[in-house]
Amino acid sequence: MRTWSPDRLLSAATLASWAGLFWWLLASGRTALYLSGRTSWVVPLGGTILTVAALGRLASARAPRPEPITKRGALASAAVVLPVVVVVALPPTTLGSYAAARRSTLVTAGGFGSSREEIASGDVTLFDIAGAFRSGEAMRALTARAGREVSFTGFVDRSEGMPAEEFLLTRFLVSCCAADALTVQVRVVGAPPGRFEQDDWVRVTGALFPLGDEVIVDASDVSSVARPEHPYLGT
Amino acid sequence: MDVARAAPVSGWRYAAGAACGLAAVALALHFSDPARAAGVANFGVVFSSLLIEAVPFIALGAVVSALIEVFVPARLITRLAALPASLQVPASGLAGLCFPVCECGSVPVARRLVAKGLTPAAAITFMLAAPVLNPVVIASTAIAYRGRDSVWAMVLGRVGLGLVVAMAAGWVMARAKPGELVRAEAPARAHEGRAAGFFGHLAGDFVFMGRYLVLGAAIAAALQTFVPQDVVASVADLPVIDLAAMMGLAFVLSLCSESDAFVAASFVQFGVGAQLAFLVFGPMVDTKLAVLYTGTFSRAFARTVVVVVFAVTLAGTLWIEVLLG
Repeated sequence: MRTWSPDRLLSAATLASWAGLFWWLLASGRTALYLSGRTSWVVPLGGTILTVAALGRLASARAPRPEPITKRGALASAAVVLPVVVVVALPPTTLGSYAAARRSTLVTAGGFGSSREEIASGDVTLFDIAGAFRSGEAMRALTARAGREVSFTGFVDRSEGMPAEEFLLTRFLVSCCAADALTVQVRVVGAPPGRFEQDDWVRVTGALFPLGDEVIVDASDVSSVARPEHPYLGT
Repeated sequence: MDVARAAPVSGWRYAAGAACGLAAVALALHFSDPARAAGVANFGVVFSSLLIEAVPFIALGAVVSALIEVFVPARLITRLAALPASLQVPASGLAGLCFPVCECGSVPVARRLVAKGLTPAAAITFMLAAPVLNPVVIASTAIAYRGRDSVWAMVLGRVGLGLVVAMAAGWVMARAKPGELVRAEAPARAHEGRAAGFFGHLAGDFVFMGRYLVLGAAIAAALQTFVPQDVVASVADLPVIDLAAMMGLAFVLSLCSESDAFVAASFVQFGVGAQLAFLVFGPMVDTKLAVLYTGTFSRAFARTVVVVVFAVTLAGTLWIEVLLG
């Protein structure tokens, strides 16, 4: 006679917890907090594989000799389910100025960004700023657009000793997941002093001036905005 | 005879204990609002994103592993294992071209192949080569370096050196016996039919690999969060040390091989050799993989892989630097 095997039910529940997380990420739109648009397809893939796996395990969970749950097995399942709990319990947050400070000194966004031809035409975007650091030619193409009005959205990163009317408008470029995030930054001058806190999301409009290894925006308007649905720029 | 003792034990109390522990973590996270502590929030984002990206590949690897176990006849593996090593090793390396998943997916497949009887040399070569040689990784490397003079050096160097390093590690493991390589599994349970067997192995591999992946991702996220990356910037101009530093950084960052080229391309202070060292070493040895290897294979194997991959990558990138002037 077949009866339910506790061990098989536990492993089915472990698989189902991850399947549930992937479907929840998809339904809640939170995928963009962790992955770039380029890799977001892994979420439905993971959801589908693990749903089928959980259902298959459940369908074969009745056994002639049911296996008990061992202490080791319960701990292993708890370890696998722990990240599901972390993702669901944590408030929806993104990388911010803390991460920018620890990445920006070495890592610049040189691997990303627009080509020289793309920088030379159309509206100037943060992708163009990133692309300008790829080569001297690209930076010259950006320099040729000095004085052009731009509008960028990002968060405020103000380092110690920075004048009150300045901050670094920062955005992360993500290739696969937030772990590979690289920063793109422009220095905003002429911002209203004391109005914006660290990590506040803002839209800055002003004139663009590439200067040495920095890009400066002389702000004519700085306004608060909600965090974008896709906080990271993707490839 | 004590009837109560002889009665089967379900072990639900262990599951209940684990569920209580998880509930306590959820409540602590919910009420302590870790988003207010920037470091903790950063850790949470990196930890979660590493796993959300890697778990589907572990699941895919577990599917392939279960298919091999249940549907591939043992005699086929035995026949492959009987081929000369001089043919097996390069063929296993090139097989990576047909398996477009990153490093997390290739570990359960290699483990299953060894357990099923394939020679360790072939399985290890495949496991190390697949994350570097697969077509998605080649394409992403080309995109990351597009428009630069070094684009072909990076793409061909990564593929060529990746294959050489994987084969070298395979050759070193050629004399190992499968029993010495793979950690003992729980005894196989009697499954009823192929479908039940398939889902049993799939679930077993997923939980087995998953726990080590979680631990590895936690260590990688902690290192990313609390160790400043600019510690390696000062050695960018120092020969040999720059190569070792970039390999160390690849170990710490634990990036997916399908995205690491974008990060490598950003290290403009470092030369082609150092960037190649990052791109070849990282997909074979990083924090989360080190934990996975230690949990899956013997400690001696894990040590050997780290030493061989490091030494051959170092020698190879030095040679490429000399070649490119």
